Amino acid sequence: MKPVAIARVNLVRFFRDRQAIFSVFLLPMLIVLLLGAMQGGASTPKLGFSVAEDDALTGELLGILDTVEGFEVIEVGDADSAVREVERGGLRAAVIVPAGYESTLRAGGDVEIRLMTRAGQEIQGISEVIGAAVTQQATLLRTARFAQQTGAGSFDDALAIAMMAQEALPPVEVVASIAGEPFVLAGLGQFDVYAQGMLVLFIFITTLNGAVTLVRSRQLGVSRRMYSTPTPIRTMLAGEALSRFTLAIIQGGFIFIGTWLIFGVTWGSPLGSILTILAFSLAATAAAMLLGALVSNEQQAGAISTALGLGLAALGGCMFPLAVFELLSDTVYRVAHVTPHAWALEAFQKLVAEDGGVGDIWGFLLVLVGYAAVLGVLAVWRLRRVLVR
Amino acid sequence: MTVASGEPVLECSGIRKSFGDHAAVKGVGFSIAHGETYGLLGPNGAGKTTTISMISGLLEPDAGEIRLAGEPMTPDSTHTKRLVGLVPQDLAIYPDLDATENLEFFGRLQGMKGAELDRRVAEVLEIIELTDRAGDRTEQYSGGMKRRLNIGVGLLHRPTLLILDEPTVGVDPQSRNAILDSVERLGEEGMAVLYTTHYMEEAERLCDRIGIVDQGELIAEGTQADLVRIVGQRDRLTLTATGSLAATAAALGELEVVDDAGVAGDEIVLIVDQAHDHLPRILEMAARTGSMVKSVDVDSADLESVFLKLTGRALRE
Repeated sequence: MKPVAIARVNLVRFFRDRQAIFSVFLLPMLIVLLLGAMQGGASTPKLGFSVAEDDALTGELLGILDTVEGFEVIEVGDADSAVREVERGGLRAAVIVPAGYESTLRAGGDVEIRLMTRAGQEIQGISEVIGAAVTQQATLLRTARFAQQTGAGSFDDALAIAMMAQEALPPVEVVASIAGEPFVLAGLGQFDVYAQGMLVLFIFITTLNGAVTLVRSRQLGVSRRMYSTPTPIRTMLAGEALSRFTLAIIQGGFIFIGTWLIFGVTWGSPLGSILTILAFSLAATAAAMLLGALVSNEQQAGAISTALGLGLAALGGCMFPLAVFELLSDTVYRVAHVTPHAWALEAFQKLVAEDGGVGDIWGFLLVLVGYAAVLGVLAVWRLRRVLVR
Repeated sequence: MTVASGEPVLECSGIRKSFGDHAAVKGVGFSIAHGETYGLLGPNGAGKTTTISMISGLLEPDAGEIRLAGEPMTPDSTHTKRLVGLVPQDLAIYPDLDATENLEFFGRLQGMKGAELDRRVAEVLEIIELTDRAGDRTEQYSGGMKRRLNIGVGLLHRPTLLILDEPTVGVDPQSRNAILDSVERLGEEGMAVLYTTHYMEEAERLCDRIGIVDQGELIAEGTQADLVRIVGQRDRLTLTATGSLAATAAALGELEVVDDAGVAGDEIVLIVDQAHDHLPRILEMAARTGSMVKSVDVDSADLESVFLKLTGRALRE
């Protein structure tokens, strides 16, 4: 099989280039990590909890904070240690409980709990969470003290009864509703949005860079020599395309599996995602073949493939969600769909946001295959003109 | 597809090719027999590479016919291309693959595979004397080694017609000799060879018949002896000189004893009847027309003389 022989040689040559391996496999993962981290940190935020002296009420307060979702509560030593950890960024915030917390409260006095965060860091959300936890405990204490003052028994007995009563009462639940579409897809993790965009962006840029290989083969005279053998142009192009397509799906598969395993990215239906990667890789391969046949030297091919790759990615919604374009204007949204990127991203969003399956994305897949067919035919026509003139 | 002994391996007639307004090949025709080495001799830009590009199926002729073993050759003649081994003027190998990988790759494109391919790759590595360096990337090779590998790729599938386009350009003398020896051996083994060059000595050494090409036309054809007869019993006189060489050559060309005169670099080349008898007069004329002659060579007529006689220009102009 001559196309396989051509593809094999191209892949052998590619994998001998360490710089190319970095840009194809490691760079996309690094960018997803970087953008995801900027979106909200790489792990659950840590909340420090510092007490001057252990007693039952501070233990209970710690217990309440432990039940709050979205934080990992870590006990730290004294107040100075807590402040240092916040300053170094090891803790998002720290709750500092002063000495005599329980005894002061039992005596009916006021206690000031300090909440430390780094300068410039948003504090409102954290203070609300801490405030709610402290309020929960304070309500129980007030109830117990009221019961004690009205002669219902000792403070400890009244507190125990209040706690039992609280557990027995059904909780009041607040249900929140949102009007309109979410700006960024709801329910997605911090890496999810960028992983889809980066997968599409990098597959296209890497594959389009394959134009450089095709131009290099032409410049080396290897393409002409291949054509002097019993190898038709369509076979040569099929071999070149096969190598680009293979590389695209290896890269796509690597980003797909890597982001799922390392960052927990949600991709929805695996079959739907794989088909989307295959269809988009096909379109990118055909675009690379056409560019390789159109340009005349490596410098042109390198510059155009990078500019085109980044430009189409920005236009197609890899850097900002397509929903943003839709909000801006209908025209911008429509123009975005001139790129195969937009169709691939719409397919991914259908799979992830709407929990869709292959049946929900076949229209997008057909459009991507259509891109591949049209660009592929143009590439064969153009390469024949370049070689036989 | 086989070629019977005596039947021409290649026949081309009236082939033409233009690029825009420029006519690169203007009706060239010749044939090559089984086991014959045929040389296309001409200066740079004469149309040699365009001619062999059409013969090897890389270019579509505007007019004329090319047949290999009786089968027409066009860019779409996939089967006929099996008969040809092309060695292009510029290196056409992958620099980031080693010699074995390059040979295996092009062998597969020729339809070879398995043990046959392995055996032939080893044989060709022996022929081009690269067995010891077969595992090194070709970007680490010397210019001569790359040239030899370039030829090896053309030989790999045992073509009926081997086409070599100026294979010694830019090669050191030692490698050049090795290449010429290889081509001689291939001719002796019965392979038909089409060899283009602008080096007269190579054509004289290798070729059974020679076609002289100039400005897209085949202006003479025959054995070396046939071609030299065109000049007759005249001598080739070469004056190495400084000064107004073109003016001197023009003035010398007017002398009745000088058949033709041309300039090649710092030399004035003359076709002269009985050169020794007329040398004082020629030197005097050179001095009068502003050239200072530093050395004089008198040789019997050769292909250089033939080219000068036919075109009025030196081969290396």
